Amino acid sequence: MSFISMDFALYVTLALVLYYIMPAAHRWIILLVASYVFYGYNDPADLGYIIITTVSAYICAYFIEKLTVGQKEYIKKRSEELSKEEKKAYKLAVKKKQKLILAAGLVLNFGILAYLKYANLPIAYINYYRIKWFGSTQMIPFIRVLLPLGISFYTFQTMGYLIDIYYGRYEREKNLFRFALYVSYFPQIIQGPISRFGQLAPQLFSEKKFDFYRIKSGFYRIMWGLFKKLVIADRLAGFVSSVMSQKEQYTGAYILLAVFFYSMQIYGDFSGGIDVALGVSEMFGIELAENFMRPFFSKSISEYWQRWHITLGTWFKDYIYYPLSLNKSIMKLGRNFREKGHEHIGKRIPIYIPMFFVWLLTGMWHGSQSRFVVWGLCNFVFIVLGTELEGISAKTVNALRLSERGLVMRSYRAFKTFWLMSFLRLFDINATAGEAFRAFRYMFINFRGFDIEKVYENLSLQKEDFIVVLCAIVVLFAFELIQRAGSVRKRIFSLPVPLQWVVLSLLVTAVSVFGYYGPGYDASSFIYGAF
Amino acid sequence: MEKIIEILKGIHPEVDYTTESGLIDKRIFDSFDVVTVVGELMDEFDIEITAEHMVPENFNSAAAICDLVKRLEEE
Repeated sequence: MSFISMDFALYVTLALVLYYIMPAAHRWIILLVASYVFYGYNDPADLGYIIITTVSAYICAYFIEKLTVGQKEYIKKRSEELSKEEKKAYKLAVKKKQKLILAAGLVLNFGILAYLKYANLPIAYINYYRIKWFGSTQMIPFIRVLLPLGISFYTFQTMGYLIDIYYGRYEREKNLFRFALYVSYFPQIIQGPISRFGQLAPQLFSEKKFDFYRIKSGFYRIMWGLFKKLVIADRLAGFVSSVMSQKEQYTGAYILLAVFFYSMQIYGDFSGGIDVALGVSEMFGIELAENFMRPFFSKSISEYWQRWHITLGTWFKDYIYYPLSLNKSIMKLGRNFREKGHEHIGKRIPIYIPMFFVWLLTGMWHGSQSRFVVWGLCNFVFIVLGTELEGISAKTVNALRLSERGLVMRSYRAFKTFWLMSFLRLFDINATAGEAFRAFRYMFINFRGFDIEKVYENLSLQKEDFIVVLCAIVVLFAFELIQRAGSVRKRIFSLPVPLQWVVLSLLVTAVSVFGYYGPGYDASSFIYGAF
Repeated sequence: MEKIIEILKGIHPEVDYTTESGLIDKRIFDSFDVVTVVGELMDEFDIEITAEHMVPENFNSAAAICDLVKRLEEE
């Protein structure tokens, strides 16, 4: 069931009615049933995977916490007789057992994810080299794997919970069914955001009164998400894929436009989907974490990644980056360098080594092909260069008598970041890293004229579409500029009621009239839905 | 406290750590410095510093760092 379908609208309406007529203390049961029905509707077999993740994390958390409780009781009972060293040794022994349980949970769940995502990768390589080196015509057949919907998202969310339990950040959820809701909560299951237990669980189970404001506010957010997805993203998809699949036929100007449009497409698609998820959730009185914060206004790549897919970035930061950065062996390596007089390198080791792994994994998360690894590592290189060149950059800005806070520098940095990130997306829209580099080269060696008529004729973007999409992009940026000063919806709701209706009617009309609907009036699938 | 100030002096000797309360907010320490301090603290005091401790409030002054170390030593 797509987020953008009449079925989904009816489904949410029904779930909302049942949710609010249910006594407040039991409403979470409606959410659990709604989440499982929603998840199984696509393919009932997917339910097996989510149940394995739920039950295995539940069991691991149970044993980890049991060991913690046992340890506390043991030390409390013998606090007089045990020395400080003995207590420490006991704690270490318990921690070791807990680590084993955590490792079992992580290996099982990330193992399933890795198998489903990457099982065919070695087969593809073996087949490729068998043909290339031995001229073999016999191919190893690919394993038929259907990636369950949103498996990366719920696996990350659940494993984050398990790591938090290991570190003693939260008390575990003792009710298996409540825990199952935390894992499967349907508005976020397809493409995130990746929630934290401490932020989501209390909201899922707290008793909330019906509040029409939330319904209204959620509805506006859903419509805004649909605007981004249907008016912008889906309209541009055809143009981008046509140019990239036949780039030899087009000049650099077309490729540059396709790169710009792809940035708009992916932003409209992903952040639009997130708006729908957050809007639906808001109607149930549950505020999910924000996943985007005006990323195209970022002044550096590091800042961009704090504003784009925020919940994935913070997941990697908390569960990969910091544990590696604060790891004693990496710290020791850094210190060795410092003690040998390499202060500069020594200080950077506990930052750059973990960052390298974060970007390698972020690349792999985005896809099994090597182009995604290249994409991830390019991000790493750009961030390192940005950090290392900060001093030179500051001196240059000073020499030019400019200010980092001035409009000129802020615009320049936002422009540069936008285009660097857009160029990196060539790895996303081309089938191989080689193709991406070729597209990048074409952009500069073949930058001849640009014939707008050719766009209308050949590139599934009619004149009217072109005008609509450009206007929509202007609206999007204007909205985000206004948003910098605070919530746009709050401003709308402070207007007189008739004006609020005008805004809503304009939004609904824009989505219904200018939304790009394919054959059978189906919206395209969400790009991140397949992750 | 003396040990902590000694560690901090090893990174930025020019700072008066008895009065300075904006090590992070004023960007006197960058992320490289913070991680270096953390490494030294973990080693010196045999404590475990994890992601949730990596917030500016814990590293803005020598006193804040001292509080963090005391908390972690008690755990």
